[in-house]
Amino acid sequence: MGIFKKLPGLTIAEFDSTGSLLHAAEKMAEAGYEKYDCHSPFPIHGMDKAMRLKRSPMGYIIGTMGTIGMTGMIALTYWTNTYGYPMVISGKPAFSWQAFIPVIFAISILLSAFGAFFGMLALNKLPQLFNPIFGSDNFAKVTNDGFFVSVEANDPKYDEGNVKSFLESIGGKNVEVVKGE
Amino acid sequence: MSSNNKDLTDLKFQDELLFAGNPTFGSVTEDVSKVVETKPGQLWYVLFGISVSLTLMLFSMIGYLFWEGTGIWGLNNPVGWGWAIVNFVFWVGIGHAGTLISAVLFLLRQRWRTSINRFAEAMTIFAVICALLFPTIHVGRVWLLYWVLPLPNQMEMWPNFRSPLLWDTFAVGTYFTCSLLFWYVGLIPDLATLRDRAKDKWGKLLYGIFSLGWRGGNRQWQHYELAYLVLAGISTPLVLSVHSIVSTDFATSLVPGWHTTIFPPYFVAGAIFSGFAMVMTLALIARKVYNLEHIFTPKVLERMSWVMLLTGSMVGYAYSMEFFIAWYSGNEYERFAFINRAFGPYAWAYWIMITCNVISPQLFWFKKFRTSIPILFIISIVVNIGMWFERFVIVMTLSRDYLPSSWDYYSPTIYDIGIFIGSFGLLFTLFLLFLRFLPMVAMAEVKGVLPEADPHHGGSH
Amino acid sequence: MNYDANTYTIKDSGKIGTIALVLGVVFLGISVLGYMNDSAHFFLNYLTAYIFWISIALGGMFITLLHHLTNATWSTVIRRITENMAATMPVFVILFIPVVFGLHELYHWSHAEVMDPSSPSFDALLHEKKGYLNETFFFIRTFFYLAVWTFFGYMLRKISVEQDSSGKDYKLTYKKLSAPGMILFALTTTFASFDWMMSLDPHWFSTIFGVYFFSGIFLSGLTFLLILLIYMKSQNILQNVVTIEHYQDIAKFMFAFIIFWSYMAGSQYFLIWYANLPEENYWFLYRWGNTWESVSMLLIFGHFVFPFLTLITRAAKRNIKLLLFMSVWIFCMRFVDFYWIIMPTGMNEDGSRVAFDFNMYDIAPIIGIGGIFFWFFWKQFTANAIVPVKDPSLNESMKFQNT
Repeated sequence: MGIFKKLPGLTIAEFDSTGSLLHAAEKMAEAGYEKYDCHSPFPIHGMDKAMRLKRSPMGYIIGTMGTIGMTGMIALTYWTNTYGYPMVISGKPAFSWQAFIPVIFAISILLSAFGAFFGMLALNKLPQLFNPIFGSDNFAKVTNDGFFVSVEANDPKYDEGNVKSFLESIGGKNVEVVKGE
Repeated sequence: MSSNNKDLTDLKFQDELLFAGNPTFGSVTEDVSKVVETKPGQLWYVLFGISVSLTLMLFSMIGYLFWEGTGIWGLNNPVGWGWAIVNFVFWVGIGHAGTLISAVLFLLRQRWRTSINRFAEAMTIFAVICALLFPTIHVGRVWLLYWVLPLPNQMEMWPNFRSPLLWDTFAVGTYFTCSLLFWYVGLIPDLATLRDRAKDKWGKLLYGIFSLGWRGGNRQWQHYELAYLVLAGISTPLVLSVHSIVSTDFATSLVPGWHTTIFPPYFVAGAIFSGFAMVMTLALIARKVYNLEHIFTPKVLERMSWVMLLTGSMVGYAYSMEFFIAWYSGNEYERFAFINRAFGPYAWAYWIMITCNVISPQLFWFKKFRTSIPILFIISIVVNIGMWFERFVIVMTLSRDYLPSSWDYYSPTIYDIGIFIGSFGLLFTLFLLFLRFLPMVAMAEVKGVLPEADPHHGGSH
Repeated sequence: MNYDANTYTIKDSGKIGTIALVLGVVFLGISVLGYMNDSAHFFLNYLTAYIFWISIALGGMFITLLHHLTNATWSTVIRRITENMAATMPVFVILFIPVVFGLHELYHWSHAEVMDPSSPSFDALLHEKKGYLNETFFFIRTFFYLAVWTFFGYMLRKISVEQDSSGKDYKLTYKKLSAPGMILFALTTTFASFDWMMSLDPHWFSTIFGVYFFSGIFLSGLTFLLILLIYMKSQNILQNVVTIEHYQDIAKFMFAFIIFWSYMAGSQYFLIWYANLPEENYWFLYRWGNTWESVSMLLIFGHFVFPFLTLITRAAKRNIKLLLFMSVWIFCMRFVDFYWIIMPTGMNEDGSRVAFDFNMYDIAPIIGIGGIFFWFFWKQFTANAIVPVKDPSLNESMKFQNT
């Protein structure tokens, strides 16, 4: 229990090209499925639109992290040089901001990078080493040259028979049901 | 509409995509994964043996250095910064090409980068590891290295944020971290490929763990692509800033020959120049060892030689500006610093630098040289040598200061040379391990630029 | 104005050229009044305007050379414009004449007494530079720069126009011309910036100055190009030929060079600020005092912060109205940059630096030279098709997409 919720089973279907996967995605969105995904070995141009996905909130995460880095470093250089440990070095004023630009810049970048990396992992719920979908042997092709649509069993519209026939009707092959945990 | 599109894509494809033959998604996976999955040939073991021995030599010499102190190097009174800083700048510079290829060319949508970016990024990370080694061992009391970090302490002291050497810590540290994250993000889908192909237990386990459970769903790709784009975006100002900050180690000082305003862009151009040369060297070796002629195609190599010609000429421009302005300043110390470089005791190093960095890349104006593999290999090595000497020439400005009685000549000891050569051993060890265990070409990205990857390809939509 | 979309020609170029010429002549006339009012101020002013406009022509030349050297296809549709910008060099040869007459007012080093050891105003430091900073060599160099630029501007346009009728593929000819062209361009612009601007304050020196000037040249060229394109778009010229994709690409370059310019300007300032050597920091000090602070601040915020923040998004780069505003804005900032470099070097009678004093006469040479420049540009530009109609890559260029 807790964060270790049981993962639902899925129905997966294979498609033969990027074009047909994109087409299938449009149909899935049209039919009102919610918990489905389109798997491919590489990102496909236009897929977000076809699946009617909301914009990724990554920009906000990264922006926030970068801002924290910048303000934090400005505060640190200001405080250490004015109050914490003020020293006159090369005759410059206590808060000689020009000289602090490099460190402020570096830390802003560093925290933005952390935002991008950890934000991506968090949004994608990774690492998640196990997923029922790996139970399908055919699905291993997705990292090679396979294109798949998967529908999770907890989708409000999920019904094994209907999903199967729907996937076949939009061009899916090798339709397969994978059991959940 | 669709037929129109196809023509355009095909035309672009022929012009831009530089893979020979007609690769498919499957053949890309196969070609790249095969390298990792089969036992390497004898050559790999020979090279690995040599590299590991050199690395062991490096670490034993560093051990002795810690025991004995920096006096084992050839440091003398005017030249307090010896080979350590030369090597530091050299290695950081090498790293820049990786970031440039992976980030800047990504933002510019240069498709030819996909064949070399993984490779170049790996080189960046390993080169920055080598670079970080040198200031670390040069600080003297290495166990107090953490003093450079702004950590609260009972002495109530804080680092001097005005010091360019401290900026280096922040800039190079950030650079290393960002490059590592960028590289790893790119690796995730490819590690998943290896996971799905792995036959043995260890392969399944390790590739499984490091691919984090990647499933290739578009809901993942959506965030992934944005993270990748942003990492590329923030790596771009990093390329500019890191070597600019490294240049301020010299340029913020009052030393004639060091304090000159062109240093930041000049160092950046030099860094890209040397980095491309190193990528070229390594690519040509990997091409030979692993028969990857269809990935590192002559066209990719030719484009890289264009970049080398451009950056080499920029470096040449900077050398002449320095010289001219030193004269133009009317300041006798400035003038002396440059006359001394060209005709003083280190004239040999200066002219090696000019020949290797400015003259040799000019051969790339001619197609004959850009397309000849042996010539490319030779020039790439020549440029690497030249760029090391550039930093050497700059640092040895110290050998003749304002007081002629303190002038001295820097003679490297066996430890200077050993540690420098050992750092190559470290780079090659890491690199060979990378070639052995990780996909050296970004499979997912290569697949993404194949014509079939376009959903409107062939009018199927 | 009458535009024929089939042949890409502007049949009746209308009154624009005449208006520009009249404005040019009238305002150059007003500048003469400025000369009579305060000759020293006038010459600095005139030089500012001259360099401002020539940097636009040079920007056109650079974009053309870059296009040929990189085998770019997206920029084919705008190439005829940049070629014609570069081909306006004869105008600048003639317009340099007033600078010749103002040499002594502008350049302290040209005074015979500073080089004369027996004179009380002898300057030992300048005497050291006599081999470079002397009138004869200065004129030889200026002549050389203008000759090189005129030659390349003329050739690039000539071959291109020739192609319109012959239809041959001149790719290789262009390459052979552009490769040495680029090298010469880099060297001549660098030394021109040293001669014309840096030596206004002959004691000061900075190795980055040439690159700094170059970054500005490219920006100037882009802003002019963008303003012209948007104007033509409003007249229904080149619709569907220059598309939003091209605007975005030009805007990308503009954004990149805003950063590049700032990087150069910032490096120069930062290193001089940090080292704080009296032999070079004074150059910034008299721009940061003596009533020039506001201009310096305008440069930082107007030439870097504001355009950087505005142009950062993709949406902004595809918004024509915003682009028009930004290109006009940066166009003005280019002027501020040159104004900031050139004007504060002026000296009062007592040897102190002049204060900031922007008056009506400052505008006259800008419009004066600009009018002549534009008249000549427009005349040549409308004489032929306004895109290289027979260029093999034209079709692909029109279909260009930002992926």
